[in-house]
Amino acid sequence: MAKKGWDEFEIGAMLRTFDGSIDDIAGTRQEDRSYSENSSYMASVADWRLIKPVFNKDYCIDCQFCWIYCPDVSIISRDKKLIGVDMDHCKGCGICVEVCPTNPKSLLMFPEQADEETEIAQWPKKDEEEA
Amino acid sequence: MAFDKMELRDIEVWDGNFAAAQALRQAQVDVVAAYPITPSTPIVEGYAKFKSDNYVEGEFVMVESEHAAMSGCIGAAAAGGRVATATSSQGLALMVETLYQASGMRLPIVLNIVNRALAAPLNVNGDHSDMYLCRDSGWIQFDAFSPQGAYDLNFIAFKVSEDHDIRLPAIINQDGFMTSHTAQGVTTMDDDTAFGFVGTYKPMNDMLDFEHPVTHGVQTEEDWHFEHKARQHSDLMLKVSPKIDEVFADFEKLTGRKYSQVECYDMEDADVAVFCLGTSVETAREVATEMRAKGVKAGVVGLRVIRPFPFERVQEALKDVKAVAILDRSSPNGAPGAMYNEVCAAMYSHESSPLISGYVYGLGGRDLTKAHLVDLYNELETNVKAGKVTTQLQQFIGVRGPKLSFL
Amino acid sequence: MSEMKKIKNLKEFSTSADRFEGANLLCPGCAHSIIVREILNATNDDLVLSASTGCLEVCTAVYPYTSWDASWIHIGFENSSTAVAGAEAMYNALKTKGRLKQPDRNPKFVAFGGDGASYDIGFQWISGCMERNHNMMYVVLDNEVYANTGGQRSSSTPIGSSATTSPAGSISYGEKMNKKDMMGIMAAHHIPYAAQVAPNKWKDMVKKIQKGFATEGAVFINAVSPCTTEWKFDPKDTMMLTDLATDSLVFPLYEVIDGKEFNITYRPKNVVPVEEYLAAQGRFKHLFKDEYKYLIKEWQERVDANWAYLQRREEAKV
Repeated sequence: MAKKGWDEFEIGAMLRTFDGSIDDIAGTRQEDRSYSENSSYMASVADWRLIKPVFNKDYCIDCQFCWIYCPDVSIISRDKKLIGVDMDHCKGCGICVEVCPTNPKSLLMFPEQADEETEIAQWPKKDEEEA
Repeated sequence: MAFDKMELRDIEVWDGNFAAAQALRQAQVDVVAAYPITPSTPIVEGYAKFKSDNYVEGEFVMVESEHAAMSGCIGAAAAGGRVATATSSQGLALMVETLYQASGMRLPIVLNIVNRALAAPLNVNGDHSDMYLCRDSGWIQFDAFSPQGAYDLNFIAFKVSEDHDIRLPAIINQDGFMTSHTAQGVTTMDDDTAFGFVGTYKPMNDMLDFEHPVTHGVQTEEDWHFEHKARQHSDLMLKVSPKIDEVFADFEKLTGRKYSQVECYDMEDADVAVFCLGTSVETAREVATEMRAKGVKAGVVGLRVIRPFPFERVQEALKDVKAVAILDRSSPNGAPGAMYNEVCAAMYSHESSPLISGYVYGLGGRDLTKAHLVDLYNELETNVKAGKVTTQLQQFIGVRGPKLSFL
Repeated sequence: MSEMKKIKNLKEFSTSADRFEGANLLCPGCAHSIIVREILNATNDDLVLSASTGCLEVCTAVYPYTSWDASWIHIGFENSSTAVAGAEAMYNALKTKGRLKQPDRNPKFVAFGGDGASYDIGFQWISGCMERNHNMMYVVLDNEVYANTGGQRSSSTPIGSSATTSPAGSISYGEKMNKKDMMGIMAAHHIPYAAQVAPNKWKDMVKKIQKGFATEGAVFINAVSPCTTEWKFDPKDTMMLTDLATDSLVFPLYEVIDGKEFNITYRPKNVVPVEEYLAAQGRFKHLFKDEYKYLIKEWQERVDANWAYLQRREEAKV
């Protein structure tokens, strides 16, 4: 965000999350909210990541463990289904992979520069020993 | 349950504490979070009794420390309503951290400080050490010289502080015991007139507006902090003073009682003047009158608004006087007095300046007697005749032991 | 009283629209935000929030960004409790006076603080709020250390932990004091509801939070928050560490109603030895030297004794 001069912002270093009025925040999904430029939703921490999660929907059972245990609100679930990872907000901690109960896992960590399609094509097979 | 109004006589005999408590009642404060400490306790007790007797509709939260009192006031003010409290001395010292947070968040809160010395050694009586402690805290600071001032300035403080162009908290100082516990005639307003003057609180950036969520109390580091502090200082320097003038004028229209940021008494033709705060102003006025009867053109300047410091008005008040004594009622502990320094800064940058000498007096409630002030005016006369300050620049008056003077 | 949000299972819970945002500055794998999400998502009511100075605060409100989608305030290190209590008082005042902008809402007042802010510097403020029984919830994000300032011991830091102000060394095993029993102290205020929670047991946690939100009066929540940075484990293992904490009974999950009624809410099927919990964390690494192994034994004895005590309290209903 552009660095403003002393006379260009609201007094008291007060921040507003949304532009305009919002009636029912808990009933409004992120994509339907008008975030102001001051919400961290509008920012990115993608450059924190060294490794990233790749989601393979073929094995996902929509258990939502990754959704609830994601510290960064980066597992996108809609209508009880996991639909992807928010790569602007994911810090690459890898919790989602650890808590994924499927075999093989539906989420795996790869180097940040890895190609998602290639990795999904080479997804590991079921681990018989573990099963 | 509707609250009851109180019938007041046109003139009540109130001490400063009760006058302040009555003002808080009449302003219909929404939240008072408070903790008792001598000598401001009766403000809190008075308010509690009003609450118990259904004269107050707002919330009264009796917290467990002064720090919590101001913390609660900050939370309440951020939520969006009228907020006030009272404290003194050690309590204020405990509260100081939060004073900076209240002003930095630009939350209007009215704080009655009943001035008292700071330990050690422990002392419950009046001096201005606590007032000086929050000098740089970003609060607007008024000074009452009497119970009437303590009453009136509360209404004025709410009106200035809560204005959307201002949004800065305000302190009303009154002298511990000398004002707070000394009953005098106070000309009152009836409840409707008093509330009508301050009006219903107009919220701004309020946390309880659920359709516009706000974040208060952010972190700013080297990339933003300076700008925010600069904004606050700029508003204090440029916006507050005209607003205070406006509200003083409104108040005079309503009540006939006139306040000025720098109160000048017998100053039109004065050769010598005493510049002071609090109840000393009234003592000095009496002595000035007596000195005039003796042929000394004596005047008094009382600082009504301590912050923002009325720099130009102090210049205006003192530019034609020949010698002035600046009285500091707080131990400077290794420097010239704070008020002495501020007045010197104002006069140094003015084309004409009087001879300025500083006096430290009244610590821990020690009386400033009329005899002290007579001596002081005579000393100023000597300075005028000599065309220079004939004493040292800083003298202690009213202290036992060998004469104490410095610089 | 508003209707309680229905959360039968995790799938249903996942339909929640979060009111806490990513791109905050918390460490990767930080449990704080997992706890915060579970709490905020437990209700659809409006929220008035506060946080004490600490990791949560400095990482979620660094100008010009906020990660909060509800009104939020930070004042200082010690007073997030009183900040929210003040806001609650204002709510009550404006309700009485008919000046609420949206009078039909049922806001929940929640204050967050770390263990440093809660067990130590803000202790008195919390005690005051609990004693006055404000209609609010105080949540400790208990990571047993001053993490924001780089790992100094707090009164929540357990024996044998190496913290920067109680470091393990050639003649020291680190922290010498036992962890303060904050739950016991808070319950002794006879507040309507106090509970210890852990984010891995989300259902238990959401149930308790909803119970807390439905309570009229002060609620105290102590949430274990494994700290990848100061406990020294891989960020991916946060939930594994939480599992070890609850299943070793180092962090037993229970609630206390009105300071009297004790309910243990989670009994692990397979209790994990405390040694496994300690071994998973760098802060206890030195305890595995021969000369300090007795401390591990003492740890186990202490945890067993506490578990026995809690069960006796539960049985006795006192």
